[in-house]
Amino acid sequence: MTSFNKELFRKEVLPYFASPIKEMLMKLGDEHYLHLEEIRMRYGQPLIFKLGDRDFTMDVQGRLSNDIRTGYRIGEDDLYRTIASISDNSLYAFEEEIKRGFITVAGGHRVGLAGQVVLQGDTVKTLKNFSSICFRIAREVKDCALPLLSYINGGDRMVRNTLIISPPRCGKTTILRDLARILANGSKRFPAFNVAIIDERSELAGSYQGKPQLDVGVRTDVLDSCPKAQGMIMALRSLSPQVIITDEIGRPEDVEAIEECVNAGVAVISSVHASNVDELQKRPIMRKLLSSRAFHIGVILSRVKGPGHIQDIVRWD
Amino acid sequence: MLLKTLGIALIIGGFGLWGLSRAWSIEKRVEELKNIRLALGFLEKEITCTHTPLSHALVRTAYFCEPPTAVLFEESGKLLQSRQGATAGEAWRAGMKKLASNSALTAGDINLLESIAAQLGMSDANEQRKVFELLQEELKMQEEKAREEVKSGHKLWTYGGFIVGTAVVILLI
Repeated sequence: MTSFNKELFRKEVLPYFASPIKEMLMKLGDEHYLHLEEIRMRYGQPLIFKLGDRDFTMDVQGRLSNDIRTGYRIGEDDLYRTIASISDNSLYAFEEEIKRGFITVAGGHRVGLAGQVVLQGDTVKTLKNFSSICFRIAREVKDCALPLLSYINGGDRMVRNTLIISPPRCGKTTILRDLARILANGSKRFPAFNVAIIDERSELAGSYQGKPQLDVGVRTDVLDSCPKAQGMIMALRSLSPQVIITDEIGRPEDVEAIEECVNAGVAVISSVHASNVDELQKRPIMRKLLSSRAFHIGVILSRVKGPGHIQDIVRWD
Repeated sequence: MLLKTLGIALIIGGFGLWGLSRAWSIEKRVEELKNIRLALGFLEKEITCTHTPLSHALVRTAYFCEPPTAVLFEESGKLLQSRQGATAGEAWRAGMKKLASNSALTAGDINLLESIAAQLGMSDANEQRKVFELLQEELKMQEEKAREEVKSGHKLWTYGGFIVGTAVVILLI
């Protein structure tokens, strides 16, 4: 079950917000913390919370409403103070993170940023004059990956190469994290493995200053903020993993690195954005990957019965 | 006669001490401007080279800094470390307020130092470097002016107090 609650919210999330917003957020009901997924602040627009699938707002008195227009309007000072607090008044210390468009804070929560992009040549140098903040709550849902274990278990201490296929916000990162934890910890039904997580966007392990903030298991090494393809090869050479877990593959170099790992006898579990296999086949890079038979099974997720619902299992072995 | 002599001594001595304290203050201002400029150089390196979070960088700067200028960095750093929701600008201004009540800096010096409050910490390392370099240049100019003032004003205030005291005595007699 989800481990995020009011106490964690007050400790890990609330301190980052500007005072007026902090006071409003404190008025959220206990039941709301269980479903809170996002808090969005956009300059001149109402404060928005995503509770499950629905958007809500709050007025200054702390009244929750689904009529977004009635909500508290975000001012420049709210944005400035929140960003100052998130960056510990030290934006210079988060240059790389800001270039990528988000900062991960203690607890593994991810703060997406938008504003004026400053370019240096063709590459993004930094963001300034921030106009929006998207605070995404990181939550662990322990044992959510248990239903997948019987498919992933290849027998004889083997893990099947698995591709989790899912549209955004269907729980693929949460399932990957839980798989890492289960595989690294082991159980009576399943042996333990050395797991390497290649966490390009600090989402899987929710690392803050390089250290995982979420439970990824006792035999897991995390390469944080590391490009996936490079990270897979690095892990293969230096960490002797039995399983490599990475999120949202899609670039040609990712496919090459996966093939390298699979041919080296290391199991790969990864995810990709798509609603079904047909959609995946329309992308040349993914078509090439599927035809290489690198992956043995595909797990298709949807939100039909909430995040993490297993829609279908496809076998390619 | 004794009372008269005592009164004369008190007037001349009082004015003389006032003059001496002003002369000392002029000299002290030069020293403080220099110390703040050097401390800002240290803070700049902490920010641009090691990317130390601002609250820690300020406290570290205070540690290597001479009093009373250390109070600026200590007060602002500790306010940020307390995580009471103060921004870097607010913390810097609080530090300036404490420094101003305890130093020989002029209102112009204080205004100059306050000018970085809004930019402190809130841009990338390159921008921070520019902000600090500009402020250090301006402080150097201010320091040069203060040195000139020492040359011209130090003797004036040292002896001026006693001379004014003597003039007051003559007028009273």
